[in-house]
Amino acid sequence: MRSAQLTRGAIGVAGFLILGELVVRLWVSRTFDFPAPSVILYEAALLLADPEFLEGMLVTIGNWALGLLVAIGVGVPLGVLLGALPRAEQAVRPLLEFMRPIPSVAIIPLAILLIPEDSLMKVSVIVYASLWPILINTLYGMHDVDPLAKESMRTFGFGPLAVLARVSLPSAAPFMATGVRIAAGIALVLAVSAELLAGGVNGIGVFAVAAGSGNRMDLIMAATLWAGIFGVVANLALQTAERRLFRWHWLRTGGART
Amino acid sequence: MTRNLRCRAIAVGAAVALALTACGSGGESPDTTANADGLEKTTIKVGALPIPDSVSLYIANAKGYFKEEGLTVEPVTITGGAAAIPQVENGSLDISMTNYVSTFSAVEAGKKIKLVADMYQAAENNFNIMVPKDSPINAVADLKGKTILVNNLRNVATLAVTTQLKVAGLTENDVKFAEKPFPEMGNAIASGQADAGWITEPFITATQSQLGFRKLADTMTGETENLPIAGWMATEEWAQKHPKTLAAFQRAISKAQALASSDRKEVEAMVPTYTKITPEVASVITLGTYPSELNADRLQKVADLMLEYKYLEKPIDVKSIIVAPPAAG
Repeated sequence: MRSAQLTRGAIGVAGFLILGELVVRLWVSRTFDFPAPSVILYEAALLLADPEFLEGMLVTIGNWALGLLVAIGVGVPLGVLLGALPRAEQAVRPLLEFMRPIPSVAIIPLAILLIPEDSLMKVSVIVYASLWPILINTLYGMHDVDPLAKESMRTFGFGPLAVLARVSLPSAAPFMATGVRIAAGIALVLAVSAELLAGGVNGIGVFAVAAGSGNRMDLIMAATLWAGIFGVVANLALQTAERRLFRWHWLRTGGART
Repeated sequence: MTRNLRCRAIAVGAAVALALTACGSGGESPDTTANADGLEKTTIKVGALPIPDSVSLYIANAKGYFKEEGLTVEPVTITGGAAAIPQVENGSLDISMTNYVSTFSAVEAGKKIKLVADMYQAAENNFNIMVPKDSPINAVADLKGKTILVNNLRNVATLAVTTQLKVAGLTENDVKFAEKPFPEMGNAIASGQADAGWITEPFITATQSQLGFRKLADTMTGETENLPIAGWMATEEWAQKHPKTLAAFQRAISKAQALASSDRKEVEAMVPTYTKITPEVASVITLGTYPSELNADRLQKVADLMLEYKYLEKPIDVKSIIVAPPAAG
């Protein structure tokens, strides 16, 4: 079952690459200057031996991880607090609904102006963007707690804190995890975008800026490929962790296939 | 190893304060207080575009010219001269590359910016209007009603093209300028999104060899001959607070500029180390010149041209915005 799925996936990827190669070589490259998939893959492999690129990758991933952690540290407690205090949530809700749809990339120029420390600026925009999915999902999770379970706990004489710790938090946890997984993707977008807009000493985006100035489209595409691979790996890791940690939740919700 | 483990523990626990210290990427160099040479600051961050113009920064670093002055210079990649202005203003960069047109516009807008060293001056054929091989455009006058791509609107590109339009009896209103980053210009013109582009190296060479483009006109002739293009800037406040650091930077850069202008091989050897331009390309591209002296009279030409073509409303006296190095070396 699983291996058949993998095989089909591999055939899909291979087919896409072959089709891309043909389209680029036979059609695109007649008019445009664009590297074929085989060239991009070759350059991407070479990048693994380029210490400057590897260092840049580490810088970007470091910013990503730090920004995501801070967003979790702020978003989860804030979501739990607001979820537990409906009146406070009603007061904050309009502000949240206003801030949330602002495209996070649009705040990067503002962040460049306001935050003189380069890595702090980059981590800050990552935190800002990743905060919303974590916060909103935590809130949903808190709303979704079974009222009967909470009532039963209270009937047995448990205080509000005990209800929170034993019913609300475990019940909301899978939602928080989903929020974190969504945020992880957004955080990567911001980590690279901030570098593309602000430059810096090193990073995947900084590498792409230099590759662009040097007319190396192949290197831009190769760096983008690695950023994409990292995004896929991070998503898979978080998804696996979610399934392991919240097996009961998956069973309850019918284990929607993803 | 322990660092790794700790980070993983945090991922589970989400202890934010600890995360800030444990996983914090890249410790920042602290402002070291005056050293033996009396420099106000010994480690500085200098912004530069990864293009051949800024080669002196990397030559000075590689040849130890900064070290001789007791200076540690950390090059930072910037995304454009205009984009770097907020970065020098808020202190994330001490000194940065800038282009003169952006600088003079910023000065007129009230920015307290000083030019501290010269960097790059146009030479023949390194800023050309390029068109596709089979384009019906054969002279600058044919550009009437056409779309020309430039890297930035209201900047060096449009100014330089406008001077050439004038020679052909046209004005900037006879053409349409559209903005596009250099790396995308070739394909955009090839696909018919525009008719011509104001292109510099390594893209002149690239569009010629890969897309078969031809040169329509060199935009650095006549009024723009030997036009100063780029220099180094700092804020007025920074220059006042760090006179010795600035003088040390100026001496080292001037020495590197002199080497760059006297020996093209040095430039060719250095360019592939900090740009993604390959050694083969570096050896064939057309380069500008690298003046080693910051000369107000020469830069005045840029401000005067900007005034003539209404890029500036009032004249700027360039002498008032340069911080020349102290006479005694």
